[in-house]
Amino acid sequence: MKEIKKVACHFCHMNCGMLAHVEDGVLVKVVGDPEHPFNKGAQCSRGASALDHLNHVNRINYPLKRVGERGSGQFKRVTWEEALNDIAERMTKLKETFGAETISTIGGTNRTDDFARRRFFNLLGSPNVTHTAPVCWIPNFLAEASSYGWGSFDPEVGNGARLVVIWGHNPGASYLPELRGILEAREQFGVKIIVIDPRFSETAAKADVWLPIKPGSDNALALAWLNVIINEGLYDCDFVNDWTEGFEELSERVQEYTSEWASKKTGLSVDLIEQTARMYAMAKPACIAWGVALDQLGRGSTAGAQARVALRAICGNLDVPGGDVMPGPHPTFITDWEMELNEMLPEEQRAKQIGSDRFKLNSWPGYKLLSDNMIRVWGKTLPAEWFCEANPPSLFRAMITGKPYPVKAAFVVADNPLISYGNSKLVYEALMNLDLLVVNEYWMTPTAALADYVLPAAGWQERPTMTTTYGVSDWLVASERAIQPLFERKTDVDFWMELGAKIGQKEYWPWKNEEEIFHYRLEPLGYGMDSYNDFVQYIRMDFADREYRKYETRGLATPSGKVELKNSTLEQLGYDPLPHYEAPPFSAEVHPELAEQYPLILIAGGGFNPFFHSEHREMSKLRLLNPYPKVAINPKLAEKMSIKEGEWLWIETPVGKIKQKAMITPAVAPDTIQAERGWWYPEKDIAAPSLMGVFESNISVCLDDDPDTLDQPCGSWSTRHIMCRIEKVGEDI
Amino acid sequence: MRSGMLVDLRKCIGCHACTVACQIENKLPLAEKWTKVLKVGPVGEYPNLTSYFMPLPCMHCEDAPCVEGCPTGASFRREDGIVLINADKCVGCKFCMLLCPYGVRQYNPEKGIVEKCILCYERLEAGEVTRCVETCMMKARYVGDLDDPDSEIVQLIRKNNAKPLNEEWGTKPSVYYILP
Repeated sequence: MKEIKKVACHFCHMNCGMLAHVEDGVLVKVVGDPEHPFNKGAQCSRGASALDHLNHVNRINYPLKRVGERGSGQFKRVTWEEALNDIAERMTKLKETFGAETISTIGGTNRTDDFARRRFFNLLGSPNVTHTAPVCWIPNFLAEASSYGWGSFDPEVGNGARLVVIWGHNPGASYLPELRGILEAREQFGVKIIVIDPRFSETAAKADVWLPIKPGSDNALALAWLNVIINEGLYDCDFVNDWTEGFEELSERVQEYTSEWASKKTGLSVDLIEQTARMYAMAKPACIAWGVALDQLGRGSTAGAQARVALRAICGNLDVPGGDVMPGPHPTFITDWEMELNEMLPEEQRAKQIGSDRFKLNSWPGYKLLSDNMIRVWGKTLPAEWFCEANPPSLFRAMITGKPYPVKAAFVVADNPLISYGNSKLVYEALMNLDLLVVNEYWMTPTAALADYVLPAAGWQERPTMTTTYGVSDWLVASERAIQPLFERKTDVDFWMELGAKIGQKEYWPWKNEEEIFHYRLEPLGYGMDSYNDFVQYIRMDFADREYRKYETRGLATPSGKVELKNSTLEQLGYDPLPHYEAPPFSAEVHPELAEQYPLILIAGGGFNPFFHSEHREMSKLRLLNPYPKVAINPKLAEKMSIKEGEWLWIETPVGKIKQKAMITPAVAPDTIQAERGWWYPEKDIAAPSLMGVFESNISVCLDDDPDTLDQPCGSWSTRHIMCRIEKVGEDI
Repeated sequence: MRSGMLVDLRKCIGCHACTVACQIENKLPLAEKWTKVLKVGPVGEYPNLTSYFMPLPCMHCEDAPCVEGCPTGASFRREDGIVLINADKCVGCKFCMLLCPYGVRQYNPEKGIVEKCILCYERLEAGEVTRCVETCMMKARYVGDLDDPDSEIVQLIRKNNAKPLNEEWGTKPSVYYILP
């Protein structure tokens, strides 16, 4: 029997639509779905490799139990029953001894259904659920949400924008369909493209104006734009008068941030700063696209997001066609938040969330304040996953020190924390200190190598997917599974349901599988489908009617009901309510005493093809496109240090040292280097200390995550302006 | 009927999706790539830079040196302009690799023959587009009939003054580029 299944790719979180050709239960071909609105029939190099991933010889297909010391890399095959029983028993003992909060969970970028994870943890009673949230979208989203009641994350470039600012974002490597849409908009109606990036990226190469700022100086530029726009009266007076609070305080605050001041911080000329500020203010509608770099400034991530909030609002671009649209939650279908059972987590357990005493916007204190307003206006709030989490650097420290209380267990899903968080050697110490580490994975990874159990995860070809942008969009795209999981692989939902049943949660998991859960969630839409798969085949997507300027009819989900340029939620939590400048925490500006020793600026972030985060190094066709980690250095620096193309270089910061190969390119400034992130070597020895080379070329080894240097409201660590030095390795390895 | 291709260099961002999809479609060995993507630049001095990417499939030349020079007659040009290699006749002498000015021909050591882009002729015959066109995320590639003045590809070539690569070499390629 031949069938074509409508599937969603999970090789990044775009969730492009795929058509899976299945013959007698065997997946034989996967092509792009021409009817899918994101990829329109296309596949990137990863998507095109779907079968290589599914059938790769290195995939983990059965539960593995560690038999040697932690770090020995020695495992034996066990049954699911044995693994789940043992895990349940050990969890129960830990909970009895230390309290539920001793059990934590660490996640990566969306290849999972995290509502299930949160449901499990809320029922368990632990608030210590975390992700890479502080460095991935969340500070921006929460600064927006606390200022105007939801994230304005849907820049409508294709709907008549006259200008788009792509800020700290390289869709030319990481969000190809987004850049395609922007370039099509330029072709069709001439939208102007400003790219702000210290590196001449794939996207910068397509820009009308590229602003080559110094790494980490984004806040200075945003503040100077505000200064120019306010002082030259280029803002939208009516909107400011009718719909904002705190404009006067904002105006006063930005007076100190002149173009001359910002020119010194950013390295841009005064003229360029002023002209681009005017371009942005006078092109209506205009969008500022979200970029993850801005969440990775460390201290100042939220303050910078506040500045962009103010730019959008005072220029009248908020929630207008072609501007920065704030979709709100889907009104009808059951969102992630409604699945999480947050009400089951008692107040006293919420208070124990690690880091919530300090990084309050991204944890229970802030979440509570935001949710009260959101439920008033939207009837729903944000999911707790991503938006209400333990602070990762604080969590890892608790694993090591036992303070404020012992954290003894971690469940890792879709993540490789030894690479995806800062300060990898500290993370290693933390994971080594656990009593129970369970990792759900496709492959053996450095983190999985440390686990007590490595459990085989089903890939996207083997699971249904409901795409809702982490539960905050007003639309959904539903996709089915192509085939049932091969071997003994399981989806994370099955894992949480089955483990939940073993620890007394059975009544809260009344479903057999994801399809039943998703069917339940879609039923309120009223399509009257018999099953989830029918919905996928016949309906596939639901976009709520898009309303603009919703503030006119609903008001804004903030305490004042206005756009709070002076942010009362931040103020209530004890933070600066106004946008302001914070120097990059590991810069010469903050540490002049280290400037001589560490004369260069390291950029440790940025996506690059063909990989997604730390994934896909095992896949030969992809790996051969980029076999070794490369650090971009300017020809002048290379000449000065007699560095040859392809030569191994040490990259060193005060916290660590790794090596990558020199890529000599004028794309970076002479005082700046950009290292590729996410590197480890699946081909190297699994046992510690090698751990598949996780400390050799992984740039997170060089990142400090000291809580004193993190973003104050959201706890982000810096990856964008790190003082460093380089040195030739000097031997052929 | 003359099958040809158009690549819009304003759109290509060098993701190599075409390279990998082509390898999978044609079951090529890891080292063999029928549509490489070259990176040009960045040229200049920071921050005054330009850069673009250049996908490089077989040009399916009308006056193809590889066809002219093939000692066994293995390389041939079909009526629709697609240049192919007859695997039964190819002895793997690699002479064509020297002759091809675009350097797109590759030796397959497993088979002992020379191979290259076949413009997915079977897909074209079935009314589909080539795999590289289908998979292109940026919609930077087009395939069509260069003899049909109403075809999308000819319209785009005219509108954007697209040119073959190194036209002056005189091989009359069937692959056109919209310059960045």
